[in-house]
Amino acid sequence: MSGGTIDALWAQMAEQVAKPGACVLDLGCGTGGLTLACASRGAQVTGLDKDAGMLAVARRKAKENSFEEAPEWLELSVMEMEDVLAPESFDAIVSCLAMSELLPEERAYALRQAKVALRPGGVLLLADEAAPEGGGAHLMWRLRRAPRAALTWLLTQQTTHPMQSLGDDVRRADFSDVREERAKEGDFILVRATREGAS
Amino acid sequence: MTGLVDRLSWTRDTLLRLLPHSTRPGLRKVGSPTPDSPILLTCNFTLTVRRMMDTLRGHDVWLLVADSHGINVWCAAGGGHLTHHDVIAVVRSSGIAEKVAHRRLILPQLAATGVERRIVEQRTGFEVKWGPARLEDVVAFLDAGSHMKKRWRRMVFPLWERMEMALMWAAPVALIAGLALWALANARVAWIGAGVLGLTIFAIFAALRWLPVEGAKRALTYVGGALLSTALGAGALSLLGALDAVQVGLLALANAIAMGVLSLDVAGTTPWYPSTLNMTKNHFDLELDADKCTGAADCVMVCPRDVLKMKGKERKVEIARPDACLRCGACVVQCPDDALHFRFTDGRLVPAEQIRKTRMNMLGRRTIETE
Repeated sequence: MSGGTIDALWAQMAEQVAKPGACVLDLGCGTGGLTLACASRGAQVTGLDKDAGMLAVARRKAKENSFEEAPEWLELSVMEMEDVLAPESFDAIVSCLAMSELLPEERAYALRQAKVALRPGGVLLLADEAAPEGGGAHLMWRLRRAPRAALTWLLTQQTTHPMQSLGDDVRRADFSDVREERAKEGDFILVRATREGAS
Repeated sequence: MTGLVDRLSWTRDTLLRLLPHSTRPGLRKVGSPTPDSPILLTCNFTLTVRRMMDTLRGHDVWLLVADSHGINVWCAAGGGHLTHHDVIAVVRSSGIAEKVAHRRLILPQLAATGVERRIVEQRTGFEVKWGPARLEDVVAFLDAGSHMKKRWRRMVFPLWERMEMALMWAAPVALIAGLALWALANARVAWIGAGVLGLTIFAIFAALRWLPVEGAKRALTYVGGALLSTALGAGALSLLGALDAVQVGLLALANAIAMGVLSLDVAGTTPWYPSTLNMTKNHFDLELDADKCTGAADCVMVCPRDVLKMKGKERKVEIARPDACLRCGACVVQCPDDALHFRFTDGRLVPAEQIRKTRMNMLGRRTIETE
């Protein structure tokens, strides 16, 4: 629960990759916020999430809008990507607040599979909550975050797990042109990378 | 030092077991497992993993710990935090397939409300077998060559487990009530209050099988119990001059509030009763479509209450003990023929596919409806 401020981040991400007609995959789409932001720009979007309840909410939200291409929803964990996704079938893969939910070995797998699923020249764009570096700043950030995290947990029994090494993980998965930037006043990290080859 | 830290974390996990406590998911070796050793899977609730490792000591077993968000198997599976996706994820990320020569995976039976066995089998190539419902029977099950016996499918709720559940409630209630009474009165009232409330909860759980846990009258029972225990405990202390009348009144109020809250859904926090909140508001029952049933008996193998039986001659299942049904939905989820479903008293049908997709929230309600 971000109090609505995450909408701007979704829009910012969608603007970068969701060209009309482009095939976009949203990994760990949850209730489909980012998926629908991409769909509303005319992209052909697939949302993947292992939580059937969240997907039900996403489907309902999608129905309330009319898109040229209705999003497709897959109830799968990222560890099942290879079972369903054809290689080189997406122009872009996006993911917001999902990579931090994974164990390091799962994240490595997901990023390797993401590379397989992307077309040459395709773009990977990830956003996740990031803890500020440095002891004092880190403590202040924890305190600032605590009330909202507690409220979120009480209402949804969910929480987020801030991370720092997302860019390195992407590099290890052999993506090229990896760029990192901070977003949302430094609370978020955005990682953009490409799969090598002609587009 | 590690011993001390370990004991402290055990104390924290035990007293605050109402909250999730996660340990790292992944593969654990118990003893010296070989490529032929059995693979057991469990959740990543710290107490469960701890107890599992202790129970299995002396055996050689691969233990896969799936990510259930630090919630126990029964609640995680019912609440959508332990599904086939989590099982597939840990099978793949652990690389267990390269470490063993067989393809058999033993899952806790109580995971059956959330884990669709056939999907795990399709995606991983492992044959899934339901192990005992209770951790206490796992060793006997392994010693029997992983052959399941009927009595290991059945849940029981013995006194020592009721006392564990009592502690789960007593610790946070005593803490909150103690702090409130300390703020309103003084430290002595706080200690007495925490003690009386804690003991009331232990008494209620000890007598749980004789108390009405369902229906509208349950609140009266708990609040009545609260007033009775206050009268007995605080009343006696006030006679000794330890408490004055206002303080006894405060104590009675704290006790009545705590028990009133508990009475909302104590049943739903046990592995033994269906969630009261859910059942009182929208009562539903299990139904069998005998024409669809092919006698696969998946339902019989996952029911923790022995509700379903095979009718030998007809090779069909029957709902033999409907009154014992917890409405956990395990049978509905596992039926390969969609022959089981729930039906509300107003006639609405909840099809199998919806039970598979919807999960229960903290109050035992299946919140999200599919179209």
